[in-house]
Amino acid sequence: MFGILARSLKTGVLTESDPFGTRAAFGFPVIDFSACTACGECAKVCPTGAILATDAAGVKTLTVSYAACIQCRECVVRCPEGAIAVSSEIEIAAYTRGQLARTVSFDVDPATGRSTLRGLEPEIGPGLAQSAARLRERIHGRLGRSLHVRQVDAGSCNGCELEIAATTNPIYDLERYGIHLVASPRHADLLLVTGPVTRNMEIALRRTYDAAPDPRVVVAVGACGCSGGLFGEGTYASVGGVDRVVPVDVYIPGCPPRPQAILNGLLIAMDRREARVPAPNR
Amino acid sequence: MTPIETVASALGVNSWAIRERAGELLLETQPAALSGLADRTAALGGRLMSLFATDERSDAGRFVVHHVWSLPAQHLFLRIAAPIDPEAAAFPSIAAAHPSANWFEREVMDFFGLVPLAHPNPARVAHHDDWPDGAWPLRKDFRGDAPVPRVGGEFHPFRPVTGEGVFQVPVGPVHAGVIEPGHFRFGVAGEPVLYLQVRLFYVHKGTEKRFERQSWRRGLFLAESVSGDTSVGHALAFAHAIERIAGTAVPPRASAVRVALLELERLYNHTADIGALATDVAFTVPASRAQALREGLVRLQDHVFGTRLLRGTVAVGGVKSDLPPAARDRLRDHLRVFEKAFDELITLLIDAGTFTDRVDGTGVLGTQAARDLGVVGIAARASGIDADFRRDHPSDAYDVVRFNVPVEPGGDVRARLMIRAREVEQSLRILDQAIDLVAATPEALATPVPDVLPPRASALGWTEGWRGPITHWIATDAQGRIDRVKITDPSFLNWPALVDAVPGNIIPDFPVINKSFNLSYSGNDR
Repeated sequence: MFGILARSLKTGVLTESDPFGTRAAFGFPVIDFSACTACGECAKVCPTGAILATDAAGVKTLTVSYAACIQCRECVVRCPEGAIAVSSEIEIAAYTRGQLARTVSFDVDPATGRSTLRGLEPEIGPGLAQSAARLRERIHGRLGRSLHVRQVDAGSCNGCELEIAATTNPIYDLERYGIHLVASPRHADLLLVTGPVTRNMEIALRRTYDAAPDPRVVVAVGACGCSGGLFGEGTYASVGGVDRVVPVDVYIPGCPPRPQAILNGLLIAMDRREARVPAPNR
Repeated sequence: MTPIETVASALGVNSWAIRERAGELLLETQPAALSGLADRTAALGGRLMSLFATDERSDAGRFVVHHVWSLPAQHLFLRIAAPIDPEAAAFPSIAAAHPSANWFEREVMDFFGLVPLAHPNPARVAHHDDWPDGAWPLRKDFRGDAPVPRVGGEFHPFRPVTGEGVFQVPVGPVHAGVIEPGHFRFGVAGEPVLYLQVRLFYVHKGTEKRFERQSWRRGLFLAESVSGDTSVGHALAFAHAIERIAGTAVPPRASAVRVALLELERLYNHTADIGALATDVAFTVPASRAQALREGLVRLQDHVFGTRLLRGTVAVGGVKSDLPPAARDRLRDHLRVFEKAFDELITLLIDAGTFTDRVDGTGVLGTQAARDLGVVGIAARASGIDADFRRDHPSDAYDVVRFNVPVEPGGDVRARLMIRAREVEQSLRILDQAIDLVAATPEALATPVPDVLPPRASALGWTEGWRGPITHWIATDAQGRIDRVKITDPSFLNWPALVDAVPGNIIPDFPVINKSFNLSYSGNDR
């Protein structure tokens, strides 16, 4: 008994005072569009369609979506121009799938077939500030000091659960932010949902959502929760992203997102941190 | 006698009927012979590792049912394959005599529409009640890229309970903790559990279908996501199978790095599980310490490989990440400190009567039951079964590292805890040797593997993950793409054992029993 106490006192506090600002070796892809020739090789090797290429009537586009990115770096390896790198930023979250994606267009010279950069297409749908205001209005400041979270695995490989569980360890200690993981949706302000939502979990997820009292916030976690990821959307077994089944307020991309990224997303849902999505160009 | 002659004489077949390729024996036979061959293979010490079907109707006008056995004494795998007439669409079951075939055969029924004849319980295992009859996802004429309408009707009947004070407790699929979904139905008399029924496949993602017509490059990422806590294990089993198909030899350094990766995965999972066992009996001090130790390990992995959960480290043909000298020093330094802290953690647990009271004699899986059910991995070794692919079927550099395979006879929660503790000790020994091996090998990390694989080829890939043996059986189509991947996670072989270990215990002990097995839902359901 005294040994345990002595050891605990000697260990002291393990919790990091500020868990944020971590740089990761493999964040999300960023593309040097001045070197990019719009060849589309990156889109061909992307296992989840996080990079999509279109080619029509003199215009090529490239859409990069962090919602589906599993941070595999195939695009980095395959780019013939060496124009793709990975950022070290991982504390990324947004309010819509659209805010996690940007499209770049290129003019194609019909004579030579060469592509020249036209520019970044404007964002479609509400911006981050607008969405933040909308969420703030909907939850009426009822959350913020304390948040009860029910985690729902709606089809995950369990990777996201490992990192969600890590947020509760003594190093990250999410309870210091007033966030508690609760056992029942009836006690929850927020559902933290991983995906892809499977056919066999779709009804259970709907019922869990219905069981949570209003106003309830839904946070989708991971590439699969945000987009269906590797398992796709609308297959015989995978319905897809969480937003295919219940409305989603905050998206936390990554495969799996790191504990800091999950904490960041939860604090954004509580209106205690500002959402940031870096542009995919460098 | 050669190993093939030994096997042939034990099975009562001509030795020329058995072909060998890359550590795998193949015996093609007729369906009527399957049961007898299964009995004789088991008598030879064989353990059923996988059972699956392939749809070869377009090429050869047949389905094929495959039985994959581990022959530990011969250090070989035996695949017995029998053609199935698509008109009859039925195959003889071996489940009555070999219970580990039970779920496998029902899965073949659900995914291929082939009926296991004389199966003791031919009910659905993978499909839920609202899945229509006559839709079989792994048949080649089932495209799989569209939702299938739900059907109404009777709900799956659970075993009824009768008697005074006897009632049912339904739990899940959404559980109280941060864990995967599954449904448990307890029949209880007060607190003691009379029986447990388990309903899984809530996280069935159509993974095996998704591999079809893919290149191995994409397949590797799917393999890493079969079970998030076993990225290295599944990636290695997948890579081994593709490498055998392509005839690729992995560079010596990659073999050594792979051993280090697999043992690191074992370390961080075993440490987390030991902490979770403490959590489940509300012993918070060791639980916190184990969580901190586990976080230290995943941060070490992040530092050395740039990835916390070791995703993106294994390549088909080798590895993507090296262990340069600075990383080797960092690993050794960290593990030296870890070893001491881990010892303290175990002492803290087993010296506490409040803890041992809860784990001693709890959730017993007897040796005979474990043997009968074909239980594998840590659960088997904690029930007195001495089996480990790392020793019995070594791949990568496991044939040159020295280690022991710990076995505990108890079969209770304590035994499954102690197996983990003793395996951590062995993993540290193995890591030490693996780091030396890395230092002694040339720098090449991977052998290139062609994008297009040899057509109509197949191979088994295997490894001993932290939970137990993992196999991926892969076949290619006429274009050299992936045609079929059969993934067997050890959880699939071990879930039925949980049903055996829980009755007789009280409901409050279920979480700690369940955690002591820590079976994967995603790996089981795929």
